[in-house]
Amino acid sequence: MAILQSPAGKKTAWTLVDIFVIVYALFPVLWILSLSLKSSETLADKSFFPTDISFEHYETIFSADVSLFIRPLINSIGISVIATLIAVVLGTMAAYAIARLEFPGKRALVGVSLLIAMFPQISLISPLFEMERALGLFDTWPGLILPFVTFALPLAIYTLSAFFREIPWELEKAAKMDGATPGQAFRKVIAPLAAPGVFTTAILVFIFCWNDFLFAISLTSTENARTVPAALAFFTGASQFETPTGSLSAAAVIITIPIIVFVLFFQRRIVAGLTSGAVKG
Amino acid sequence: MAGSLLTAAGVVAGCSSEADNVVTLYYALEQYVPHIVATCNEEANGEYQIVHRQLPRDADGQREQMVRRLAAGDTDLDLLGLDVTWVPEFAEAKWLAEWTGEDKASVEEDTLEVPLKTATWDGKLYAAPMNTNVQLLWYDKSLTPEPPKTWEEMIEMSRDLKAQGKPYQILYTGAQYEGLVVAFNSLVNSAGGQVLSDDGTEVTLDDKARRALEIMRQMVDEGLNSPSLSNAQEQQVVDSFSPGDSQAAFQINWPFVYAATRDAKSPRFENLAWTTYPGVGDNPGRVTVGGFNIAVSAYSEKKDLAFKAARCLRQAKNQKYAAICGGVPPTLESLYKDEEPIAPCDGDTSGKRQSMVDAYPMRDDILKSLKTAAVRPLTPVYQNLSTVTSKILSPPGSIDPQATLEELREELNNAVQSQGVLP
Amino acid sequence: MTTQGPNPAETAAGSTAVAEPAEDAKRGNGKKNGKSALSEGKRAERRLAWLLCAPAVIVMVAVTAWPIIYSLWLSLQRYDLRFPDDTEFVGLDNYVAVLSSGYWWTAFGVTLAITVVSVAIELVLGMVLALVMHRALVGRGLVRTVSLIPYGIVTVVAAFSWYFAWDQVYGYFTGPDDAPLTQTIPSLLIIVLAEVWKTTPFMALLLMAGLALVPDDLLKAAAMDGANAWQRFTKVMLPVMKPAILVALLFRTLDAFRIFDNIFVLTKGQNDTSSVSMITYNNLIKGLNLGIGATMSVLIFISVAIIAFVFIKLFGTAAPGSDTEGRR
Repeated sequence: MAILQSPAGKKTAWTLVDIFVIVYALFPVLWILSLSLKSSETLADKSFFPTDISFEHYETIFSADVSLFIRPLINSIGISVIATLIAVVLGTMAAYAIARLEFPGKRALVGVSLLIAMFPQISLISPLFEMERALGLFDTWPGLILPFVTFALPLAIYTLSAFFREIPWELEKAAKMDGATPGQAFRKVIAPLAAPGVFTTAILVFIFCWNDFLFAISLTSTENARTVPAALAFFTGASQFETPTGSLSAAAVIITIPIIVFVLFFQRRIVAGLTSGAVKG
Repeated sequence: MAGSLLTAAGVVAGCSSEADNVVTLYYALEQYVPHIVATCNEEANGEYQIVHRQLPRDADGQREQMVRRLAAGDTDLDLLGLDVTWVPEFAEAKWLAEWTGEDKASVEEDTLEVPLKTATWDGKLYAAPMNTNVQLLWYDKSLTPEPPKTWEEMIEMSRDLKAQGKPYQILYTGAQYEGLVVAFNSLVNSAGGQVLSDDGTEVTLDDKARRALEIMRQMVDEGLNSPSLSNAQEQQVVDSFSPGDSQAAFQINWPFVYAATRDAKSPRFENLAWTTYPGVGDNPGRVTVGGFNIAVSAYSEKKDLAFKAARCLRQAKNQKYAAICGGVPPTLESLYKDEEPIAPCDGDTSGKRQSMVDAYPMRDDILKSLKTAAVRPLTPVYQNLSTVTSKILSPPGSIDPQATLEELREELNNAVQSQGVLP
Repeated sequence: MTTQGPNPAETAAGSTAVAEPAEDAKRGNGKKNGKSALSEGKRAERRLAWLLCAPAVIVMVAVTAWPIIYSLWLSLQRYDLRFPDDTEFVGLDNYVAVLSSGYWWTAFGVTLAITVVSVAIELVLGMVLALVMHRALVGRGLVRTVSLIPYGIVTVVAAFSWYFAWDQVYGYFTGPDDAPLTQTIPSLLIIVLAEVWKTTPFMALLLMAGLALVPDDLLKAAAMDGANAWQRFTKVMLPVMKPAILVALLFRTLDAFRIFDNIFVLTKGQNDTSSVSMITYNNLIKGLNLGIGATMSVLIFISVAIIAFVFIKLFGTAAPGSDTEGRR
């Protein structure tokens, strides 16, 4: 990078880099979009771009019963958002304590969350299922939110405490010496410094929840709580032996749209948060 | 905090309890199911109401969901849609209610013998056959006007076609999954052998199984299969056969091939022909039976209603609807002679009234195959058996008949005793 | 249970502990009263800390404690759901059965290979991506947004895309006769590709969080002192980023070792591509052999614990106290 000294050369170089990153990131997305737009007859034509645009697969999934796709989409959004809120709030509290306070049991706490982060989730399925049946949580939103929060917490705590450790807390003291109340010091100094970390964490946690496949398929049985990744397994082809490639691709594209919207929405905050920088002052 | 969350959730879940006459049906979502459920609900006139709870598309996913809940003694499940290979396992685990008396008699009436065998375990009837299925040999009549009667003939024809530069490949389901086990089971039975003894306790793979392995290996050695054999499931098989430039001359596949090839507007459809599964040497072909059974959960609190509902779901007119509109061959022999058209299928806007004759031009061959069909090994540990078998046989090009036979014997023995680790 | 984790925890918490005394002293000094207030403040601090941590701890323990204990217990039983009557305590027999099985060790090797290769590639690519996202002069926002997409996409969906890309019928990468997903090595490469594509942005995100903490003036100062780009990267940026790198690598390695979704969709573990999680799934969920399945879970857990321990230890010794000293 340093070789290119002229501003124009730098610009060209960066544009090339950008294009490379964009192609890298979008390649599989475009492919599944292309598949979803191919008609049944041309589905197997192996061309990267569809030769004729057809919306038949979209019609298929939206004209089917709501329980097939629409309801799971609502479940996915609701469950992931609630789980994210809970995990980020609880995670922030715990991470603040870990990063800032001295207390016995800190190591145990870090140890416990490490344990949970490490545990193979697959082995929790059977006992968790029995627990949830007994408590009436099976196939409900809370039944998925609980394990989502549990497994997102280690991620939230780690990421947040790494952020909090980097915050120059002496600024808080400086503000107080300048006459700010503890509340003002927190609002005006600490909260803006912590916000980028919290938002980044929220994104990570949301995506973790949105992604989950194993819990969703094990702890739900109807459209009550079934999320989209689990619902994909319920799509059917023309016969039991045929893969519903077209409708799978269409559903994949649809459930990618909220992600893109979400990423756009939060991306601005991350950019603002991270570039205005924690340690610039 | 977590405590209050739990309580709140419990209250929410508690609200969704069902009316006393609701019978839950756990069954894969196939397009004919809503229709037959509605038919029965109407006939029941309020005595019971069937609610269809969908199961995932793939068989492992279906079994997994039901098993997990049954193992926990879940009383929410009343009716279960079971693949023909699951009955012994579910019955042995005491998850199924036995069919007795009048219910049993109604199931035995007109039902084909081989499908009925898949619903029976330990001499007792634990399920009722809903539909059945057999693979046929599909070929291109412009290439081979007279289809092969045996695998030996088919290999020879394929070899000749290849030498002439014509499409020649023999396609079957060679991927590492259940389809490969079906392929192997059909070959072993057609060679006159059997994988397990009738009571499911002993591995009975012998010279005949060896012959089956030799055939699988020989085709690979001579390059007569598709190069993607070890990735081929039913869908890939039919998709490799359909294109105009396909190199395939034969495919062993289920009857859906007919509709799938037609609907894909394949140029090969006009020459698509079928016959029964080929034999091995002097032995006639014995193809593996597929299909679904319906059973009543042992934990159901509404068994009486469930049995009634199950009998309704599998009655002749529903099986006929499922066969014509859903592509699953019926288990009642009389339907194979039935020529009466039915009302147009739900969602079919063309208003076409089809009969068994229109939907199943191959119905005589299906019936003929069903009469001599082989069942997959009946054992509670079928799942282990199947996983191990497909692992050992995959890819078919790696088969060394004698060594593979010995490995199969040993590993299947372990599997039958539920010992050892699954791959 | 907590006794199993003190070592990784010790190191992770250790780095914060370095910072604590200084912080405490500062806070102590800020207060008007002397010694007695300090100890009362200490007590209040503890109470506050416990209050803050309690909700997270309660949720985590409530959901996982019983399943974890239950898994340990099951691993000592012969327990096959299809033969409920044969259930008995068998001590370590299940461990012997699993550890003497070729299938297990193949899966173990495959998992290790996938983990090492994919995390190594991810770290390098992730660092490059983080630098691009942080420094790009052109289209920075666009790059950041776009590169979040692989991470946001549901793993199963992305895996389907790769599956269809390499599938012999639909794929644009394959001729009519190629089926790379049926051969061991090509399958593993595709699995690694899918894994790297999907998770590099995760790595980059976490690394970028670290990059944002690198003070620009420090970089400018280094540049004025004649440090070239590489020196600025290794001498200035890396030390500051170390905690972020640690978190990113730790999570990705733990995750990669338990790889499941991608393999499930791409190969179902056929042709020796099973990971340890896949083989556990087969035994536990498909085979209904809870004893063997639980044993495998415990073994995965132990393996991951060992990896994490070694990993943090190495990292910890390579960067003593740098996370607090560097910036002051």
